[in-house]
Amino acid sequence: MEKFNLENISLVIGILVILIGLWGLLTQKNLIKIIIGFALFDTGIHIVMVSIGYIKNGTAPILDNAVDINNAANAVVDPVPQALVLTAIVIGLGITALMLTYVLKMYQKRKSLEINNYNDLKW
Amino acid sequence: MVKNILIFIVLIGFAVLLANVFVGFKGNSELNTLANHYAVSGPEEVGSANLVTAVVVTYRGLDTLGEVTILFLSAAIVSFLLKIETSASRKRKLRTTSEILDTASKILVPVTLLFGIYVFINGHLSPGGGFQGGAIIASGLVLMLLSQPAKEVSHKLITIVESISGLSFVLIGVAGVIFAAGFLDNTLLSLGKFGTIFSAGLIPVIYIFVGLKVGAELSGIIANLQENQNEV
Amino acid sequence: MVGPIYIIAVALGTAFSLGFFKKANVKFSFAFMLLAMTFMTFISGQWLYAFLTQQQETIQIFTAGFKPPFSISLQMGFYEAVFLSIINIVGLLSAIYMYDKLKEKGVQMMMVFVLLFMGLNVVVMTRDIFNLFVFLEIASIATAGLIILDKSANAISAGFKYIIATAIISGILLIGIIAVYYYAESLYINDIINSNLSFIKGGAVAVFLILIAIVLELKPFPANGWALDVYEAAHPGIGTIVSAASASAVIFVLTKILPIVGESGYYIIGIIGIITFLGSNLLGLKQNTTNRLLGYSSIGQIGLLLTIIGLTPYLGDKTLFIAFGVLISHALAKAGLFWLSGIINSKNIKGWAAIRRNPHLLVLMGTFIFALVGFPPFPSFFAKWELIMQLANNDKIIWLALILIGSFIEGVYLFRWFGYAIKGENQDLPEFKIQWNKIIPVIIFALGLYAIGYYYSTLTGSAASLNYIPLLFILFLYAIDFLPVYIKNTISIAGIGYYLYTIYPGLEEFNLIFALIFLAGGILTLLAGYTYKGKRQGFYPLVMMMFAGLLGLIEANTTLEFFFAWEIMTIGSYFLIIRGKKSMTHALSYMLFSVGGAYLILAGFGLAHIGQSSYSLDILANVQGYAPIIFTLLAVGFMTKTASIGLHIWLPGAHAEAESDVSPMVSAILLKAGVFGLIVLMLRMGAQSFGSFDIYYALAWIGAITAIMGNMMAAFQEDAKRLLAYSSVGFLGYALFGLALMSHLGWLAAVSLSVIHFMFKTLLFLAIGGVVMRVKTKEMYKMGGLIKKMPFTFISVLMGIIVISGVPPLTGFGGKWILYNAVLDKGWFLPAGAIFFAGIIAFLYCFRLIHTIFLGQLKDEHREVKEAPFWMLLPQYIILGVIMIFSAFPNSLLKPIGEVIMPYFSDGALEWQGQLAVSNFGYWNGELIMYIVGGIFVIVFAWLWFMNRNAQKVKQFNIGYSAERPSLPETTHFAYNFFAPYKKALGFLVSPIISDFWEAVSEGIHAIADKIRRIYDGNAQTYVLHIIAFIVIFYLIAFGGSYGI
Repeated sequence: MEKFNLENISLVIGILVILIGLWGLLTQKNLIKIIIGFALFDTGIHIVMVSIGYIKNGTAPILDNAVDINNAANAVVDPVPQALVLTAIVIGLGITALMLTYVLKMYQKRKSLEINNYNDLKW
Repeated sequence: MVKNILIFIVLIGFAVLLANVFVGFKGNSELNTLANHYAVSGPEEVGSANLVTAVVVTYRGLDTLGEVTILFLSAAIVSFLLKIETSASRKRKLRTTSEILDTASKILVPVTLLFGIYVFINGHLSPGGGFQGGAIIASGLVLMLLSQPAKEVSHKLITIVESISGLSFVLIGVAGVIFAAGFLDNTLLSLGKFGTIFSAGLIPVIYIFVGLKVGAELSGIIANLQENQNEV
Repeated sequence: MVGPIYIIAVALGTAFSLGFFKKANVKFSFAFMLLAMTFMTFISGQWLYAFLTQQQETIQIFTAGFKPPFSISLQMGFYEAVFLSIINIVGLLSAIYMYDKLKEKGVQMMMVFVLLFMGLNVVVMTRDIFNLFVFLEIASIATAGLIILDKSANAISAGFKYIIATAIISGILLIGIIAVYYYAESLYINDIINSNLSFIKGGAVAVFLILIAIVLELKPFPANGWALDVYEAAHPGIGTIVSAASASAVIFVLTKILPIVGESGYYIIGIIGIITFLGSNLLGLKQNTTNRLLGYSSIGQIGLLLTIIGLTPYLGDKTLFIAFGVLISHALAKAGLFWLSGIINSKNIKGWAAIRRNPHLLVLMGTFIFALVGFPPFPSFFAKWELIMQLANNDKIIWLALILIGSFIEGVYLFRWFGYAIKGENQDLPEFKIQWNKIIPVIIFALGLYAIGYYYSTLTGSAASLNYIPLLFILFLYAIDFLPVYIKNTISIAGIGYYLYTIYPGLEEFNLIFALIFLAGGILTLLAGYTYKGKRQGFYPLVMMMFAGLLGLIEANTTLEFFFAWEIMTIGSYFLIIRGKKSMTHALSYMLFSVGGAYLILAGFGLAHIGQSSYSLDILANVQGYAPIIFTLLAVGFMTKTASIGLHIWLPGAHAEAESDVSPMVSAILLKAGVFGLIVLMLRMGAQSFGSFDIYYALAWIGAITAIMGNMMAAFQEDAKRLLAYSSVGFLGYALFGLALMSHLGWLAAVSLSVIHFMFKTLLFLAIGGVVMRVKTKEMYKMGGLIKKMPFTFISVLMGIIVISGVPPLTGFGGKWILYNAVLDKGWFLPAGAIFFAGIIAFLYCFRLIHTIFLGQLKDEHREVKEAPFWMLLPQYIILGVIMIFSAFPNSLLKPIGEVIMPYFSDGALEWQGQLAVSNFGYWNGELIMYIVGGIFVIVFAWLWFMNRNAQKVKQFNIGYSAERPSLPETTHFAYNFFAPYKKALGFLVSPIISDFWEAVSEGIHAIADKIRRIYDGNAQTYVLHIIAFIVIFYLIAFGGSYGI
């Protein structure tokens, strides 16, 4: 069964994690849970990225004892998505840290984590 | 309830969209041209055994600089927002720590810090690098703060490490423009012997600064959050 | 030259080193940061300079020493240089503007500030799609940081919403990027373009995700609640950055990635753009919070830009000109307004009344508002003009209409706000102080708008001949505004006189007639200006602007010149009108009808330009299709200025509330601009009909009904100036009717009535203005018996109403006589009957004017009233003299006019035998009638005098005879509700149906806006849902047909 190979499975899992994250982000009322929803969404994207770069039967793109330097092109997976995902993870980290800080400050000001209590600005 | 149904419908639509984005995905049986170039010429052009590191630090070095900047920004904003204006009269309710945690952390913290340093120094040879190493260093700090919540972290030190390493990164980049082929060119230093610690030109140097910087920034964020904890 | 890479190096180096300073030396840190911003500006500026002057070629900057696609590359070309310069200048000035705030908040925010601009710079330059993502993230995170500058609860929660929304958007961008990487096997934008992803299954959707994410960064309606909250909560300086700098950068990104998407992208962008433009402006209508209003307007402008980009396939090589004109006007004006908002510091737009404590600030605000709405001489005007021309040329009529509607709505709320600033109550408003660092950036941007506007006009081929001399004269008057009235008045009169003298030899036909009305009229009415003492601040530049516009109409040879002049005239007259007492709402409605009318004219010119290469006004004579529509659009546009029925509601208030010498200008002179427009139009387009329906017949009816209604409403007014205003409505009804007859006599009547109306309306408005000046009220029932106190004024008014009512011997009769002859000639008896009826009603209000004000009993409080000032009387008597000459020797007026008309309509012209005019239906001798009437008058007067010579004169307040002191409550005064019986019989006709109609329209639209804006419920989750739903819906629109779901 061609369809159930590793990259397809992880791709689908990634997409599902994205959707679950969005669902949590959109339906939860607690600010911390909303942030967790975002983190899931972000992680789902990272899984998708890694799946995209997978090469059948490839190994990590590190040219050590396991990989022959002259045959590297046929042995390793695509290093680019891995590099991108590293960047993306760090960016996601920065954003999550900011979100948590803002929520912390909001909580300090109003002692509530309920998102519906922060609708002062509208229309 | 109605809203949840609406959300559900919208997400179904989004799922359909995502499915259609990847409808043409058939997996890869071999590297594409770009990746092939990195795999074949990378060792010779950059000299890093870890191809991901080669891509991250050199080929896509500007991304990495941006990445560091993002962490820097986050740290700056967090410290701005959580700046404690009246530190003297402040009361904090702190949990007491258990003996086990206390003892364990005394052993583990130095080891963790050392491990972090190891990880970013070896970034061009093995899995890891500046970000990973920095994160490990910061996790050492987390452990320390868990065991000794009252400990004051020196923000001054953090800032200085952050600034010096960031500045060095930029200066290395500029040196590339002046003395080599372009911004962040790593061949400013000789590439050395492939697969040894002194290889890959400037990559280890850059990764040391990145590691220090990331470690300092994450520590700063954590310390700031921790200091705001349980504020009365 | 310094390489662009140093922008990054300097910004980052600065940000990282700022950490060393910390709290110790904030001022030094700021200077350091400012230096970095200056250096960034310098680098981008020097590249721009090189591109402009030295044929610099686009360069690529490779990082890490490898060529793309292996490494990230940046590009510096002309457009990059332009955008970077805009962004960095905004950045530099923002930094200066926010000096005290940044100093107060410390080095961290300075780091964030510098990094924000570094992010935007790289976003513009990078040619790598993932790198684009990274630096967009830098920009958004930095923005999120600046939003919380104030650390207020609202700012932090707005910041949170902003982070969540942009994080989701960039997540979607990332999914798109990774999928594109899979399909295109590269991250280098040029490679991606070459792989034509739109034709690959999945690739097209991936590209769509990138496109939609970038569009979402531009805050399209309705997925933009998060951005609005940010505009409202953040420091105005941040509003500037988000709306001017960030938006410019993202717009540039959009143009960078559009080639990846291919043709289909334009379609989506266009639809999103127009929805955003209309939606955002609609919701702006209900907004009273300054910064949020600016937010709506910003988003609206970006929507317009998106529309323009989306219409690229139709706009062709003009796209750039148009888009940049809109963008630069938006960026500079919006930045300026946000900055002003930070100075005025009023949350509610009503609080902006405080701004006029410093009139120069008001000038700045006006500059920005007019630039946003697209008035001349700003770049947006030329851009909008070109946009409409191109759309018409490509038959995109619906787009054209939607864009004009959106622009109109934006005008509504911007001018309402401006109205509050000029006229709102400002007694209790808090003081504001102006710091040098806050005002200098505003001034620079205002000057920039004028400079770029001028530069833009030189780029427009057909605008090269625009006459800027009058505008320079206005500038001069603004510069000498500190001088007293009499000097400025003299200079103004001399200026107009000299200009008239220089252009006089070149004038002919209708241009000559109207030039005399406009300019000689201008001089006459300005004479009254000597009455005023002090400085009369701001008055003269505005008056001259109106006259400059009128003059431009005369001089215009092309449609662009005509429209340019029309808009200049509108600006000038708007300000003149709003100077009046309770004129805020009237000025607004005047402006709205003017803007609406102007857009109709613009659309008409656009359609007329289809298939034409020239912009000459004569293309109207040779339109390629749409002729009746073009005619109707233009006619209705001009009729907003003649105040024909249905479009008249702005007039009474505007004219009545204006100052004494302004009323004649806007009533006697300005209205003729509409007549002139109609003449220009009719001469060139000739007879027009929809199928068998004759448009001119409809115009005749409109003229007739306008005449009746105008006169009737005049009869029922209590306010003397309002009476005169309505009388103008009625009289222009005659003129319209005459023009619609399209015959020699009809036009003779219309043109001569225009001249006559100019004279008597100036006369009456000055006379009544003099009275109002003395008795301090406009209500007629509060006057009475003024004949003895103001005899000269009385004579003026008496003569004036004789002219109005069209009885012999004065010129009014001649006009009417010709009109009736013309009707007999044409055979349109039904509307003619209405015209005749209107003439009778005119007697009613004429009688009332003289009777109520000058006859009857003098009011107690008016015993000390003096005659009107000399300078008010002088122009009146000059006009009286001219009226007498024209009355006695009618051929001195009518013969030249007849000769002008002759080449166009020769049938049925009058035959002149001395002063005897002979038509097909009868004859009339003005001179003879003058003698006869004069004779009768002398006889009656002599007889009366003889009979009454023994009567004893009794002073009004002589108790012995009057028995009691007349002090009646106003409602029982005989002059109050003077024509009650008529009102009972005919009053239903004048019930304010029309005003009610427009009010209902306005109410309805506001109610809709209020309903729609409820979607912004302030909840971050709702905003995210909007974003996801927005993506899904546009996905369905874009791909609904091509993929099975």
